[in-house]
Amino acid sequence: MLLPLLAALLAAPASALAGRLRPSLAAPVGAVLAALAFGAALWGWGMGGGAIDAAWAPTWEIRFAVAFDGLAALYALLATGIGFAVLVYSSRYLPLHLEHEGRPESDATAFYFFMLLFMGSMVGLAMAQDLILLFIFWDLTAIASYYLIGFDRHDPDARSSALMALLVTGVTAVLLLIGAVMLRAAHGTFSLPELARVVEPGPLLTVSGFLIAVAGLAKSAQAPLHFWLPRAMAAPTPVSAYLHSAAMVAAGVLLIGRVYPLLHKSEVLLDCFLVFGAASVLVGSVLALTRDVLKQLLAYSTISQYGYVVYMFGLGGEYGVAGASFYVIAHALSKSALFLTAGAVTEATGEDRLSRLGGLRKRMPVLAAASGAAAAGLAAMPLTIGFFKDEILFGAALERGPAFAALAVLWAALTLAYIWRFWSGIFLGTPGEGTHGERELPAALVAPVAALGALVLVGGILVGPFETLAEAAGRVSLAVPTPVEPAYHLDFRPENLMALAAYALGAMIVLSRPAWSPAALGFCRLGEKAGPERIYDLTLRGLNRLSDRAHRAEVRDLRSRVAAILLPAGVLVGAGILVTPTAGAYRVGELRAGEAPLLLALAAAAVATLAATRTRRHVTLALVLSGAGFVLATVYAFYGAPDVALVAVLVETILTLLFVVTLKLIPYEVLHRQAELPLKRPRRKALISAVAAAFAFAVVWGALSQPAAEESVAQKLLRLTPEAHAKDAVTAILADFRGLDTLGEITVVALVLLGVATLLGRGGTR
Amino acid sequence: MRTGPPGVPGAIPDADPRAGPATGVMPRKVARLLLLPALLVAAGILVKGYAESGDGFSAGVVAALGVLLQYLAFGREEAEKLPVVRHAVPLAFAGLLASIGVAAAPLLFGDAVLTHYPPPGSKVVYLGTLELITAVLFDVGVFLLVFGFAVGTVSLFARADESAGVGRADGRSGEEKTE
Repeated sequence: MLLPLLAALLAAPASALAGRLRPSLAAPVGAVLAALAFGAALWGWGMGGGAIDAAWAPTWEIRFAVAFDGLAALYALLATGIGFAVLVYSSRYLPLHLEHEGRPESDATAFYFFMLLFMGSMVGLAMAQDLILLFIFWDLTAIASYYLIGFDRHDPDARSSALMALLVTGVTAVLLLIGAVMLRAAHGTFSLPELARVVEPGPLLTVSGFLIAVAGLAKSAQAPLHFWLPRAMAAPTPVSAYLHSAAMVAAGVLLIGRVYPLLHKSEVLLDCFLVFGAASVLVGSVLALTRDVLKQLLAYSTISQYGYVVYMFGLGGEYGVAGASFYVIAHALSKSALFLTAGAVTEATGEDRLSRLGGLRKRMPVLAAASGAAAAGLAAMPLTIGFFKDEILFGAALERGPAFAALAVLWAALTLAYIWRFWSGIFLGTPGEGTHGERELPAALVAPVAALGALVLVGGILVGPFETLAEAAGRVSLAVPTPVEPAYHLDFRPENLMALAAYALGAMIVLSRPAWSPAALGFCRLGEKAGPERIYDLTLRGLNRLSDRAHRAEVRDLRSRVAAILLPAGVLVGAGILVTPTAGAYRVGELRAGEAPLLLALAAAAVATLAATRTRRHVTLALVLSGAGFVLATVYAFYGAPDVALVAVLVETILTLLFVVTLKLIPYEVLHRQAELPLKRPRRKALISAVAAAFAFAVVWGALSQPAAEESVAQKLLRLTPEAHAKDAVTAILADFRGLDTLGEITVVALVLLGVATLLGRGGTR
Repeated sequence: MRTGPPGVPGAIPDADPRAGPATGVMPRKVARLLLLPALLVAAGILVKGYAESGDGFSAGVVAALGVLLQYLAFGREEAEKLPVVRHAVPLAFAGLLASIGVAAAPLLFGDAVLTHYPPPGSKVVYLGTLELITAVLFDVGVFLLVFGFAVGTVSLFARADESAGVGRADGRSGEEKTE
C-alpha cells in the first residue's frame, strides 16, 4: 500500500537527478513518475486500500502510520492526477517563462524538484494517520510552496509573497503542533484513529481542535488569513494551478477532513467553521467580482470556493461531509483548468488584465470551449460535475434550515457571476487592446485544459466514480456511511428550484453590475486600509524594527555586547536570590588548619583581580589576569580536582598566549594612546561591578551552604566509574556517561574550524 | 611588546623575518627542545586518560602548545615543515569522524548511540596502562580534533595575516581561537 507514497516521494529526487544529467530530462521523468503514482493510487484504491503502522520513535509514541483510505485516495488522486496534467503543461510553459525572464534552462530542474516534492508530501499528508507524521508532511508542503512561489527570485514581490505564504501557513502549523501535543498530553497518543475513539467533548477538545482547525483554515486561505493566496499568484502559472487548486489549499480541508472525527464532537467548532466559511465566501466573491488581473480573480474565487467546503463541514451531517469532499474534486478539476487557461492566454497575448482582453474565441476555439466547460462546471451548470456539487450543497443547507438555504443560493449566484465575468471577459465581446500578439498556442498548453474540461463534462454524466470516492472520503471523516446520491431529477424538488433561483440571481448580478460595483470597490478599499494584510504588514515591519534595534544595541561596542549577556543573566540571578527563602541558606563553616594554603591561594587570586582594576597598560593587564587564572588553577589542585586543575592551567596558558599575540598585532602607538585615555564614569562601573559581585557571592555561598542530602549526581557517577573500566571519573564522564554532550561540543568546534577556514578563503592547510 | 630584543642572527636559519622579536637563540633552542617532550606528555596524558588525570582535550592542548611554540620561535614556514602541522585541519576532521564513528557504530548492533565496548563487568585487555576499550578511541578522536583545531586555526590566521600585509592588526584572531 506504500506504492503511491513511494512513487510520489521518489519523483522529486529522481527528477532532480535526471535534471542534473540533462535539464531537458527533468520534466519527462517527473511526469512519468507522477503518472505512475497516479496509477498506483488508482490501483491501491481499486484493491480496497490498506494500512501500514510501524513504530518510529517509540519513546514518544510517534508511529509511522499511514493508511490508504477513502480520504487518502481522494487527495492522493487529486495531487498526482492534476500534478501530472500540470507537469505536462509546465514542460511547455516553463521554457517560455524562463526565456522571458532571461534565465538559464537549468533553473527548471529546481522547479520540477519542488513541484514533485510538493506532490510527494501531499500524498504523504493524505495518507498520514499520526499527528506528528501529518505535521511533518504539512511543513514539507509549506517549504516546497515557499520555493515555488518565490521561483522568480529576482523579483522582490515574488520573494515577499513567498515569505508571506510561508509565515501565514508556517506559524499556524505551529498551532497544529500545539494542538497535537495537547491531545497527546491528555490522551497519551498521537494516533488519529485512537484519538477519535477516546476523545470526549469538552474544553480541551475545543481548544486543541480549534488550534488544529486554524492551521487548516490558514492553509485553505480562509478569511481572515486569506490574504496570502492572492499574493502567491506571483508564482509561475503552473504553480498557481497546482498549489492553489489541487494541492496547497486542498491540504487545509484535507486536514479538517482528517481530524473531523474529533472536531465534529464539538458544536462550537462546527459553528466556527460556519462563520469562517461564510466570511470567506463573502470576501472571496466580492473581491473576485472586482479584480482585473486574471489570476487575482481566480485566487479570490478559490478563497470563496474553499469557503463553501469549510461551510459544508460546518453544516455537518452526511450531506455536508461527503458533499465537502465532492466539492473539492469538482472544484479542483475546474479551477486548475481555469488557471491553466489564464496562463495560456497570457502566454499567447502577453496580457493578464481582463480589461485589456476579449474576443479571443475565434483565435483560440479549443481553449475557449475547454475552459468554457470548466467554467460551467464551477458555475454549477447542468451536464457538468459542478451541478452536483451545488445540488449537495443545497441539500446540506436545507437540512439545517431556510436561512442557510438562502445563503447557499446567494453564494451560488455570486459564483456564477464572477466565473461568467472571467470567461466572457476573455473570450467574448470585441477583441481588447492587449490581444494583438500573434503568438501561436503550443498544443501542450491547450491539451491539459482540454483534458480537465472533458473530465468536468464526463463527471456531469457519469458521476458514479467521483461520487464513490467522495462518499468513501466522507465515511472516513464521519465514521458512518455517507450516501449522497447525486442525480438529475426532472421535477420541482427544492434543490432544483434553488439551482434555478441561483441562475436567475446570478444573471441579475451580472446585468446590474453598474449598480453594485461602487459598493464592491469600496469594500476592497476598506480591506486594503484596515484588512488583515495590513495588520500582517505592520506586524512584520514592527518585528523587523524591534529586531534591528536589539541587534544594533547589542553589537554597538564590546561593552554592550558583554552587557547583553551579563545583564539578563544578572537580572535572572538577582530575581532568583530575591524570591528564594534565605533562612538557613547561608552558613559559615569552620576553618581547618590544613586549609591555610587554600586560603592563601584565594587571597592571591583576589589580589591579582583587584590589581587588574588599577592597571592601565594592556600587556600588564593580560598578565595580571592570567596570573589570577593560574592561581585559581592552584586552588583546584588544592581542592583535589587534578583534572580541572590541568585543564585550567592549559586554558590559562592558551588564553595568555592569545592575549599577548593579539596585542602584538596592534600597533604600539594605538595601544599607548588607548592606555592614556581617562576612564569614563568610574563610579558607575564600580557600582555595577559591586552589585554583580555581591550577587555572585551570594549565589555561591548559598549553594555551598547546602550539601545535597541524597546521593548526588556526582556520587552516582563516581560509583559507576569502575563499571566503565575507568579509574578517572572525569574522563569517564567525558567519554562515556556524557559522551553525547562531548560529541556535540567537538562537532561545534569542528564547525568553527570549518568557518575559520572558509572565511579566510582557503579550504585547507596546503 | 615592541621592547623585546631584535632578532639575533644565529646558526638556526631565520625563516621568517616577520616572525617577531621572540626569535632569539634561547627561545629557539628551548622551543626545539620542548617539542618532543610536549608531544610525549600529550601521548602520555591521552593513554593514561582512563587511569589518571587528563583526557583527550588536555592531551590535544598540550600537543598543540608544543607546536605553537615552534610557530612563535621559528615562524610559520619553518613550523610547517612538520607534517602534522601541514595536515592539521584534515586531522581535526578525521578526529571528529572517529568520534562520530565510535558513537554511531553501536547502532549497527542494535544498541543505543555511544554504547562502549566491552560492556560493564566484562574483562578488559590492558597494554600497560592503556585499556583497549572503545571509550579510549572516542577520546583519541577528541584529541585529534582539539589538536587539529588549535594548530589549524593558528596556521590559517598566520597565513591570512601574512597575505594581508605586515602590521595590519587582526583583532578578531583572539576571539575565534578561544572557542
